[in-house]
Amino acid sequence: MSSPFTPMLDALTRQRGVRAALVASEQDGIVVDSSLQIGQSGDRVAALAASLYRKARLSARAANLGGVSFMQLEAPLGRLYAVGAGSLVLIVVAHASANVGLIRVEMLRAATELPALAGGSAA
Amino acid sequence: MTPVTVVESWIEAPLRQFVADSEVELALLLHPSGQVLAQHGFARAVDVMTACALAAAIHASAGELGRMLDGRPFRGLHHAGATRQIFLGEVLSPRGAYVFLTVFGSESSLGLVRLYFDELVASLNAAASVELPPSSPALAEHFERDLDRNLAVLFGRA
Repeated sequence: MSSPFTPMLDALTRQRGVRAALVASEQDGIVVDSSLQIGQSGDRVAALAASLYRKARLSARAANLGGVSFMQLEAPLGRLYAVGAGSLVLIVVAHASANVGLIRVEMLRAATELPALAGGSAA
Repeated sequence: MTPVTVVESWIEAPLRQFVADSEVELALLLHPSGQVLAQHGFARAVDVMTACALAAAIHASAGELGRMLDGRPFRGLHHAGATRQIFLGEVLSPRGAYVFLTVFGSESSLGLVRLYFDELVASLNAAASVELPPSSPALAEHFERDLDRNLAVLFGRA
């Protein structure tokens, strides 16, 4: 079943090294839509990454740093990226060898479309 | 941090882990009859007693509604308030069915609570499968006596 977010998520997962792309609710950590490779647990990643993003955003605000534009988490086997737009978070899981710059550009561009897509999905 | 207190020791480690991971404010494990087995975050026995009675009633009502609408009982319920949310779920274990109620605020989220609830169920099942004496049934004629005893254990009056 496709949603207004499906083309955007499919475009992100076509990037080399991307293993999962998800749209989740920042407040609830619930998956709105996802494009996952085998072996990825969407619910688990969404719950934890949305919580992490929310706390990063609150930390940045507490430190008077302004809003969080792009969050990146590095781990031995890959990276996790998150950008927020309104009440939604766009999350990408990628191999360590993936092109960070390209993914970042694609995610920031996609994030600008999220509010309009969310409005469309609510209609 | 408010401690986790339990009537039966096998529940303690899984519940303690759930509370630490999910950052919930309150947690209760009870028999579907409303008999309390473990709690976290409550300061007064009367609040535990009230929450258990309400949780058992909601669980029974939701189960019956599910049977009427869907042919099987609803096993989870979530309600979002203005500042706090509740999640009510059923725990099926080798020792029987239990009801789990948790209250959480902005430190947690429904996604985290559901994620760690699944882990809690798995941990309780693992702990329950170890050789344990069978649970005594919750009998109506002993209900108040057992409830008083369990509340006394939870609040250090035993």
